[in-house]
Amino acid sequence: MSRFFEISGVSAGYGPITVLRGVSLHLEAGECIGLFGPNGHGKTTLLKTISGLIRSTSGEIAFDGNDITHARPPEIVNSGLVQSPQGNVLFGDMRVQEILELSAFSKRARPERAANLASVFELFPRLDERRNQKAKTLSGGERQMLSIGCALMCAPRLLMLDEPTLGLSPKLKQELAAAIGKIAEGGVPLILVEQDIEFLMALTDRLYLIEHGEVVREIDRANSPDHDEVMKLYFGEAMH
Amino acid sequence: METLIATLVSGLVLGSLYALMASGLSVVWTTLGVFNFAHGALMMIGAFVAWTVSEALGLGLLTGIAAGTASAAIIGVVIERLLVRPFYGNRNMLLITVMTTLAAMIIMEKSALIIWGARLKQLPRLIEGEVSILGATISAHEAVMIMLAPLLLLALWQFTVRSTAGRSLRAVGQNQESAALIGIDVPVAFALAFGLSAALAGLTGSLLGSIRFITPVMGAEPLVKAMIVVIFGGLGSLGATAGAAYLIGFIEALLILWVGLYWTPFMLFLLMIVVLVFRPNGIFGGKE
Repeated sequence: MSRFFEISGVSAGYGPITVLRGVSLHLEAGECIGLFGPNGHGKTTLLKTISGLIRSTSGEIAFDGNDITHARPPEIVNSGLVQSPQGNVLFGDMRVQEILELSAFSKRARPERAANLASVFELFPRLDERRNQKAKTLSGGERQMLSIGCALMCAPRLLMLDEPTLGLSPKLKQELAAAIGKIAEGGVPLILVEQDIEFLMALTDRLYLIEHGEVVREIDRANSPDHDEVMKLYFGEAMH
Repeated sequence: METLIATLVSGLVLGSLYALMASGLSVVWTTLGVFNFAHGALMMIGAFVAWTVSEALGLGLLTGIAAGTASAAIIGVVIERLLVRPFYGNRNMLLITVMTTLAAMIIMEKSALIIWGARLKQLPRLIEGEVSILGATISAHEAVMIMLAPLLLLALWQFTVRSTAGRSLRAVGQNQESAALIGIDVPVAFALAFGLSAALAGLTGSLLGSIRFITPVMGAEPLVKAMIVVIFGGLGSLGATAGAAYLIGFIEALLILWVGLYWTPFMLFLLMIVVLVFRPNGIFGGKE
């Protein structure tokens, strides 16, 4: 039996710059995992490589028994492996509902468009209120909701969220955490990228610490670090 | 008074022509960020193919127009594939594609000269006869063009707003990476934008071939005018492009009346420079 999702020894980068150096990680069916680590150490690059936006230079990526290492982005989305990108502006001059409807672009997602749109509006009532507004007029939190909403419209079988709470107020962060929790409860496995370990521990089963483009530690509930250890993971030892 | 009405009506004919040409340029620009200098040559190919099918093969004008439109669309897709796509993501993409599409224009113009020769050609008119608008007389064919242009622009606008394929073009133009992440095939969107734009050019050429002579360089002048239009209207919104097209059409007609044919292009370019100095995003362009 192969695993639901598995990355083995993936290296990738931008032109001559190597960012990922042989990353291996996996996800069993029905499991959520988290990725954390300092900024600029390859978390977003890893997600982009999985989505096919960046070509890996070595290694293999398998999803649901299929090798998707060399698949193109539309094929990957159509297979159900969907990424919600980091708090960006998406399509600034398009309206919220228009963007969500368009996001059911892949063949597999199209028949479920109406049902998924209703559930996205149920999950994020703010998007329902702003359905006729242009995306560029949305606040940071609403943009993040739209980004997640778009990913949900793709009918994901595995959802990757890249720092969904980046730069948000604690209140909004809680709101989004609740929504993400609901998505996971609804049966969609997650790969969640975040800086906040407590946030991650609450939503996922296992964590990977990524530093310098490598997985340097795997954490599960059995060996979960206490607060001091987390501080050390992030900031290093005080003595050298 | 009658002269003025006649001038405005001829401005309407010019405006229709420029609106069809400029909207095609606008579709490619908003999707790919490329300015297609081969657009006028695509129009010319459309006219020649329409002539070959309609006159040389004798299959009728409507078949000719359809063939002219289709052949321009196919060549447009080929140009995108061979001369634009290889440079995608390149830092100097805009400049490189200026050169490659200019090269495509020259290749098409010279090929047309070899294939069809230098002798002037003309298509028959869709409808014979003349139409009188408030005392100004134009050919029925020109009246058809005046009515067809806004309908085509409306259809194009509805396509980009309502249809999934049209929306995907706008999405790709605004954020390629995010478009790819919701499953849109970006290269397919590029080909679609180029094909659609070229089809519009081919159709325009097939219609223009009935009221102007079909020559290998017939596309050059409409392309230059369409450039002035998109600079006037700001590249981006279809509505602004259409508005600017009719405005330029009227201004050109009035300039021909007042300063004569010889000085009209000079005045138009002067106007364009003035607009660029004071409103760099165009008359109707936003402040972004």
